[in-house]
Amino acid sequence: MLKVIGGFFLGLIVIGVLAYTYAGSLMFREIESPFGVEETVARIQQNIQNTGNGWALSGLRNPGKAVQNDGGNVLPVMMVEACSTKYSAPILKDDAVRFLSILMPCKVSVYKKNDGKTYIGMMNAGLMGKMFGPMVGEVMGHVAEDQAKFVQFDASKPAPEMIKGMPGAATGAAGGAAAGGC
Amino acid sequence: MAAEKIYVFKRFERFWHWSQALLIICMLITGFEVHGSYSLFGFEHAVSYHTVLAWSLVTLWVFAIFWHLTTGEWKQYIPTTDKVVAMMRFYSVGIFKGEPHPYRPTKLKKHNPLQRIAYLGVLLFIGPLLWLTGWFYLFYGDWAVWGVNGFLSLEWVAFFHTVGAFMMLTFLIAHLYLTTTGHTPTAHIKAMVTGWEEVD
Amino acid sequence: MPARPKIILSVAAITAMLTALVAFALPAKPEAAPAPQAVATPKKQSDSTADHSKFKELQKNFKTGPEVTEACLICHTEAAKQVQHTKHWTWESKDPKTGQVRGKKNIINNYCTAVLSNEKDCMACHAGYGWKDSSFDFSVQKNVDCLVCHDNTGTYRKLPGDAGHPVYKRREFPPKSGKFVEAVDLKKAAQSIGMPSRTNCGACHFFGGGANGAKHGDMDSSLQHPGKYLDVHMNEKGLNFFCTECHATKSHEVSGSRYNTSAAMTGPAHIRGKADASPAACQSCHGDKPHPQKDALLNQHTDKLACQTCHIPEFARNDIGTEMSWDWSKATIMGPDGKRMVRKDSAGRRAFDSQKGAWVWESHVIPEYRWFNGTSTYKVIGDKIDPTRTVQLSVVGGGPNDPESRIWPTKVHRGKQPYDVENNYLTVQHTGGEDATALWHNYDWQKAIGTGMKAANLPYSGKFAFVETELTWPITHMVAPKEDALSCAQCHNKNGRLKDIQGVYMPARDGKHSSKKEG
Repeated sequence: MLKVIGGFFLGLIVIGVLAYTYAGSLMFREIESPFGVEETVARIQQNIQNTGNGWALSGLRNPGKAVQNDGGNVLPVMMVEACSTKYSAPILKDDAVRFLSILMPCKVSVYKKNDGKTYIGMMNAGLMGKMFGPMVGEVMGHVAEDQAKFVQFDASKPAPEMIKGMPGAATGAAGGAAAGGC
Repeated sequence: MAAEKIYVFKRFERFWHWSQALLIICMLITGFEVHGSYSLFGFEHAVSYHTVLAWSLVTLWVFAIFWHLTTGEWKQYIPTTDKVVAMMRFYSVGIFKGEPHPYRPTKLKKHNPLQRIAYLGVLLFIGPLLWLTGWFYLFYGDWAVWGVNGFLSLEWVAFFHTVGAFMMLTFLIAHLYLTTTGHTPTAHIKAMVTGWEEVD
Repeated sequence: MPARPKIILSVAAITAMLTALVAFALPAKPEAAPAPQAVATPKKQSDSTADHSKFKELQKNFKTGPEVTEACLICHTEAAKQVQHTKHWTWESKDPKTGQVRGKKNIINNYCTAVLSNEKDCMACHAGYGWKDSSFDFSVQKNVDCLVCHDNTGTYRKLPGDAGHPVYKRREFPPKSGKFVEAVDLKKAAQSIGMPSRTNCGACHFFGGGANGAKHGDMDSSLQHPGKYLDVHMNEKGLNFFCTECHATKSHEVSGSRYNTSAAMTGPAHIRGKADASPAACQSCHGDKPHPQKDALLNQHTDKLACQTCHIPEFARNDIGTEMSWDWSKATIMGPDGKRMVRKDSAGRRAFDSQKGAWVWESHVIPEYRWFNGTSTYKVIGDKIDPTRTVQLSVVGGGPNDPESRIWPTKVHRGKQPYDVENNYLTVQHTGGEDATALWHNYDWQKAIGTGMKAANLPYSGKFAFVETELTWPITHMVAPKEDALSCAQCHNKNGRLKDIQGVYMPARDGKHSSKKEG
């Protein structure tokens, strides 16, 4: 009996350790980019504008700039922010899951690491969505599908120009609904 | 079975043993990180912990050497050939057949002949090897001033330091195994905590 | 996700007692130093005893640069002679160790390649007037350009095409760009004379290679008004050093040339007091044991590492970036309409130009590290090459067993440029200008190389091809705040910054193969 209980608890510990170790990598995804930081950002921005489904750019954040203003340095990191009211509206309407607004807008992070290569960091929207009921699960599933398109690059096309600032309202590229940069 | 108890390990000796054990285990953990075997605390922290531990161990050793010299306990480490063969036979064969231990510790001779040789080896070889190479490792920046720049290379100093570490680790594993070979698995360990060894 | 350390950590939790002891031994974190208060000295007050605007020699409406110089020389009788001994004038430098004669005049690089036959353009950055071809007389004193370094109005401009003369007449530049460059008010410039500011040095050194930041990577216009993050010494709100603070100058000889780098200075700080030591080296102010006693371990690194290696973790730490490669083989490719085509990269930097080829730029560049003893050997015009392999246009000297060598951060600029297939040397090409053989005007390599090689007095077989080249330069500017220096594990790591550096044992990097061969 002691052995059974002992084994049970040992199993619990093992699972705990595994979960602790891998949970982070399940929630988020990191892929290597074949391009430099600026070009990766520009191509993702272009992809977002071409994805449809109401997606529009809502910002380009550069947290490194704040560090520089404080007199420090970090390797470049830029966050491409995108938004689609088609997906945000249902979640924002539901009191039970409105807190998920902290995940908005949808972000794709582009950064350089010490190996000199550029990486793309994204949230695993599909998996995360499943934790908050069927409605969110479905919406986030669509977001995940679109997100995958954001990082599909066609290297044969020339590098587009990086779009700075908050272009969502200005360009209104993919659907006027996004104007205002949700 | 009427167990007789003798007081083998004095208070300082026990303190020395356990604090040394702790320090050495920590040094092994941090040392192998500095070596590059894994990362745990991060290189920078591993180095600074390792250095602090090293100085702590040096301090402990200074006290221990003083204690051994003033109490005459150093004689416990004089090697002897008495019963060595019987001992080796016991650990390789007899122990698995439940034969009695051929050595009976006393207050004056608390270490069996194999222990004497092993501990003396640690004290006279592994220890000094680690101290010496560790010293040069730590004071790499002063080699030029000391004039040893020409015939020392950091690579070899590090290599022998690591060799010492592996020997210490080997000793530790063997030592841990043998502590469980008393008449009960924890008998020796208890003795090292309380100082009292049960002798049957 | 680094899984292994976490597992190890979990296991280690069992030995909590041990870790607790180690944690106890943790040395106290050094107290955060109070941030230096911003000293409001953006502009340096002149403490000169002479106000040049009051000199009667300068109350003149100068028509040309040489006229101004003649006025300067009335008082500063030795100035021109001094300048004429410097690289800023000769564009030539002889290596005291190897005897090789280098300098901008003689080398071939993989940016604009070579000066010969292109003097009219290149000499916009010559401290002189009128060097338009090999007939230039280097002994004429009035042709020394005092203003380019000493004008303090910030309005003095020299443009390509004028062989070093300033802009005398308002003109459109670049041609057909709609932008105009005003004529320089030479009288005002002459009366503003002062010590060289960052603007003076930067006018050439920030824009080398034909674009902001293109060439050096550790020098670009961001150093005009740098923040602390970019350069602790030049920080406008802090020390606010001008270039001349480190590049201390004597008799117009500016110290600290890349051609003879002081790569491994030893001994304590002497702050300019030691005549034979390079004032521009970090050690001249910081000594070779610059870290406080609590960080004594760091001082042990100075026998192998240059200061720059840890303290310039990346260069081009801004949006300007620097050029990483220049592919000349793409030049003369015209747009679909048969006309010159120009394209920019995602960050708005030049990426392609039918005149010049294709470029790749990068910001926040992680340096490549090399052993370096301060002596580089350059490819000079006419040097033989082996076209079957990448041609090293500069070979940084030294190695692990040389006590004069340190591991340095470098910028490696990669390129593709033409060479003479039969004679096996890199070609000189006539690129700039409006004449019948200029590459940027006619898009004809054969004509451009023909003219270039004639100017270089070298036979040309008539056959050329493109060869890959590398130019390696040490990095020394844009020193980051100490908090941003490389941390231990960035090198003490199997895949760290120095993973390719041979001949030095590094704990944690070399652990698994501790008995492998010594370099």
